[in-house]
Amino acid sequence: MSFRTKLLLVVLLTIFASVSVVAYAVTHYTQAAFEAMDAERTEALVAQFKKEFIQRGEEIAHQAKNIAEANFTERMAIDLSRRNADQSLYVRDAVGSAQEHGLDYVEFVNYDGVLISSAQFPARVGYKNDWVTSVKDWNDTPAFLKKEELPDGVSLSLSVVRTNNTVADKSLYIIGGHRLDKNFLASLVLPTGMRALIYTNLEPTFVPASLMAEKIDAEQAERFAPLVEQLQKQPQAVVRTIDWTRDPADAETFHAIPLPGRNNELLGIFFVGSSRKELVLLTRQILKMAAAVAAAALLIGLLVSFWVSARITKPVEELSEGAREVAGGRWDTRIDVHGSDEIGQLAEAFNHMTQTLAAQKERLVQTERVAAWRELARRLAHELRNPLFPMQITVENLQKARKLGAKQFLEVFHESTATLKAELANLNTIVARFSDFSKMPAPQFVRVNVNEALRNAVRLFEPQFNEVGKPTITPELFLTEPLPEIDADPDLLHRAFQNLVLNALDAMPAGGTLTLRTSEQDGNVRIEVADTGKGLTPEECSRLFTPYYTTKLQGTGLGLAIVQSVVSDHQATISVTSDEGRGTAFRIDFPQRQAGPRATPRETAPESKSTPPTLAAASD
Amino acid sequence: MSPWYVATKRLARTVLFCTTLASALECAERQRYGGTLQVELHAETVSLDPREWKLGSAEFAINEKLGALVFDRLVALDNYGRFQPQLATEWSHDTAFKRWQFTLRANVKFSDGTALADADVLAALQPLLPDGQEISASGNNVVIQSAAAMPDLLEELASGRFFVYHLEPDGTLTGTGPFFVSGTAMGSHGSSNSATALGDSNLAVSTPEGNRTTHLRFRANEETWSGRPFLDAVEVTLGVPPLRQLLDLQLGKADLVELSPELVRRARQDNQRVWSSAPVTFYGLRFDDAQPVAAAAKLWEAMSLSLDRQTMANVLLQKQAEPASALLPQWLSGYAFLFTMETNIDRAREIRATLPPNMAAGTDPLRLRVDLPGDLAKLLGERVAVNARQAAILVQVVNRAVPHGAATATATSSDPASSLHLFSWHYSSLSPRVELESMVSALNIGDSLAAAGSSTDPEQLYAREKKLLEERRVLPLVVLPEYIGLSQNVRDWMPAPWGQWHLAEVWLDLPEPGSAQPGKSKATATPVAQLLTTSPGAKP
Repeated sequence: MSFRTKLLLVVLLTIFASVSVVAYAVTHYTQAAFEAMDAERTEALVAQFKKEFIQRGEEIAHQAKNIAEANFTERMAIDLSRRNADQSLYVRDAVGSAQEHGLDYVEFVNYDGVLISSAQFPARVGYKNDWVTSVKDWNDTPAFLKKEELPDGVSLSLSVVRTNNTVADKSLYIIGGHRLDKNFLASLVLPTGMRALIYTNLEPTFVPASLMAEKIDAEQAERFAPLVEQLQKQPQAVVRTIDWTRDPADAETFHAIPLPGRNNELLGIFFVGSSRKELVLLTRQILKMAAAVAAAALLIGLLVSFWVSARITKPVEELSEGAREVAGGRWDTRIDVHGSDEIGQLAEAFNHMTQTLAAQKERLVQTERVAAWRELARRLAHELRNPLFPMQITVENLQKARKLGAKQFLEVFHESTATLKAELANLNTIVARFSDFSKMPAPQFVRVNVNEALRNAVRLFEPQFNEVGKPTITPELFLTEPLPEIDADPDLLHRAFQNLVLNALDAMPAGGTLTLRTSEQDGNVRIEVADTGKGLTPEECSRLFTPYYTTKLQGTGLGLAIVQSVVSDHQATISVTSDEGRGTAFRIDFPQRQAGPRATPRETAPESKSTPPTLAAASD
Repeated sequence: MSPWYVATKRLARTVLFCTTLASALECAERQRYGGTLQVELHAETVSLDPREWKLGSAEFAINEKLGALVFDRLVALDNYGRFQPQLATEWSHDTAFKRWQFTLRANVKFSDGTALADADVLAALQPLLPDGQEISASGNNVVIQSAAAMPDLLEELASGRFFVYHLEPDGTLTGTGPFFVSGTAMGSHGSSNSATALGDSNLAVSTPEGNRTTHLRFRANEETWSGRPFLDAVEVTLGVPPLRQLLDLQLGKADLVELSPELVRRARQDNQRVWSSAPVTFYGLRFDDAQPVAAAAKLWEAMSLSLDRQTMANVLLQKQAEPASALLPQWLSGYAFLFTMETNIDRAREIRATLPPNMAAGTDPLRLRVDLPGDLAKLLGERVAVNARQAAILVQVVNRAVPHGAATATATSSDPASSLHLFSWHYSSLSPRVELESMVSALNIGDSLAAAGSSTDPEQLYAREKKLLEERRVLPLVVLPEYIGLSQNVRDWMPAPWGQWHLAEVWLDLPEPGSAQPGKSKATATPVAQLLTTSPGAKP
């Protein structure tokens, strides 16, 4: 990944993270504000409920007091206080009292606890209500929740007990109450998005039908079961959110407030439901806006960061390009310096470095050139001295022979001219070798079978492997078949292989084994030529491919230089490994394809085109 | 002042007082003709076809009362229980009580002028007689015979639905009674906006809507064999709620109303005339067959011991009812006092404890079906549930009250979802045997009549009833009299104790025409009467 891409990504991620953080913060604070507002509304509704509760209780108490103080109640109290009073006279009076005073429930209880009359459950008349007589005077007792037994079940009521004390020690008790039902809920003024429910906890288990609300179905009511059961176990205020559907906007947060009875038993649960729709929609709006802002910011950031990163990375890229050019050999590469920041300083340093490198290279080239000339002069002097010295001796012998007789002179003359001719031939050979090396042709790539090329090269030297009077050299070929063809110049390849084999033969004057191996390595074709000679020293190895360097007495030092030249022309690599006393191995890795125009398949075998190179051409 | 003067003065005062008193008494007791008796009934449906009446139902009593206006029986019972001739002037039977012969009254005409014939008697009574009893005519005689003894045939014929009528070719019924149906009218209470005049008595009318009433008008039959009734007409308004009836009675809009038990005390407190019959309506619980026999018997016993009938009758029903311990009332059977129903909650709890825990428990309570209309049945059902709860028997009351006439108390179909059924039974026969067998048959609570025999011996009847109760299918609760509220104008109101009205004897003490009070018009001046009298089909 490029530096520009990284920079671009960093900028974009930074923008995205920033927008996300801002959106999260806004959402968080919005939610917190909403929760606070919801809590305030709930608190207000609960307060309203309590106020309504108290107000209803006072109304009921007022009506119950009116009943208790009514004339007929006093007459009833007096009559019932008599011995053998006919209680049946008043069986239906509670119904009239309830209708007259607008109460849902009215009951008259005698001083002994016997129910005299009941508006809501006349069939219970005659039964005892001992809890009523447990309190002597109820007149100051506020309203309380009461479990009301009815013919068709039980209900929850807000009830008040009042006492008629007309007859001392024989009080008549009046229980008045209102059913706590949907009408009670309807009297509560609810803010938008809120609703109130009452669960009448009159059964030991959760009963969906006991949940009173303006609009709720059984399936919804069932969802309150865990909440109710929790309060049944531990009657304290609980807040819980119910997800009605998968859409969070349909969720509602319910504050459950226990409603205890006179003896602190849980008789009801008041639920204040607050819709989360507003909050969810607001949050969604914020997130949408955040997404839009993020998208816009990312787009703008993309453009800006692209421009900025381009500005920032351009000098770096120029620097990188310059470095690549330096690596490619253009030591005099210069890059433009923009500004005086770190990148500008780096560019200046780079220019300074290349300038220094160029100067050092120049000096090195000069030095190497001088050294090369010296080496060349030394080699030339050495090569030329060898034939020149016999020639000098021959000429001197010929001059001395002038004093001899004609026959002897003639004999010496012939012998001397022959020697001179031979040495001149040697001189000519030496000059030809140098000429050949200077005239290495440009490669012409065709598809070449390397194994075949190797076999051809080895075949040339077969006479020498078993030459009479010389130690035997055993060639061993380990050629991988099939081996991919490579793009190569067959002549140059043949020449290189020839020099390598010749070099190996020279390395084994006492005989040995010549090993040739081919293989496919990482998409390249590897050729390995190994001998079992005495090996090379590391210093020899490092100088092995230097032109005119040789370790042999008769070598010109051009054989391996030619090999390296061929290898270089084929974009291949060559390496040498040598163990002193055990031999040397050369490895060449040829790419299968050459850059540029595609090589054409070779139509003829290598040996048909190439003429067997002379040993001179494969000179060491 | 001389003693003679004083004696003479005292004598003169005494003579004057006696003269005044005699004059006043003569004036008070003098029967008057004319006027329309305004009757209000709670029933929304009545039928004047005896063939359609269902034994034991509350509607039966109303139908019978109205039927008695139009039809006559062969014989009747007076208020002292003596048989009186009606359409039959003489009757005799063989020694085995298997053959009865009735001599028909001569010169009896139906209200349409048709003479009474023996064929009419045969056609009317044959469908009503029980299986095995055959009726035949022989000259002016009618013979009823059966293979089994019929010792109580007279009681049977003197009550219930054994009216004689004339079946017209178009299916209408005409009677020989003191009144005939002159028409019906439908409209809001107190006024009418439409009318249909009918001259026949196979009438089945019902109130179409809850807030509308139906008026039935019966006009005096001038040609009846028993002599013209004092009243010109009887106008019956159907579908009037009980409280409205009482108010109308108080306001003088009605002369005769039904009083529900809860209003009796109020009516008496308001100094209204209240007449009550002997207990004629029985309330009880019928057990279904869903429970295992052994468990059902124990459940019956526990339920019976838990029921506080005294409180039901004396407190809840404000002493307007009597606790019932037998199927037949004392006045009908004569042996009801031999049955007792104990209340013992502790014992009931002990028995309950021996029952399976899931029986009559929270998850599977006994379902008590109450399908009788009115608050009384509902109240009794709820009290049964409250009593049973004391014995740890959970009873769930299922109120399925239906309007009057839409269902009868004698329904024997058992609701598969209910275990108990609160039913009522109106005694309609003066024969305890017939009544008991009718009850057994209608409620399906015992053996059939054939198996039980036809003896009228009280001992055998007692044994029969005792056996029925020991079979533990029925629990008696209370028996209620019939309560009638009467205006002060109604005179000679002398019904039978068992509830038969004798409106032919009733007359109205109407004010003199010149002193007629506004709003107290009793004659044909009511809107309905005016409408009826002008209706094309109305009889004169």
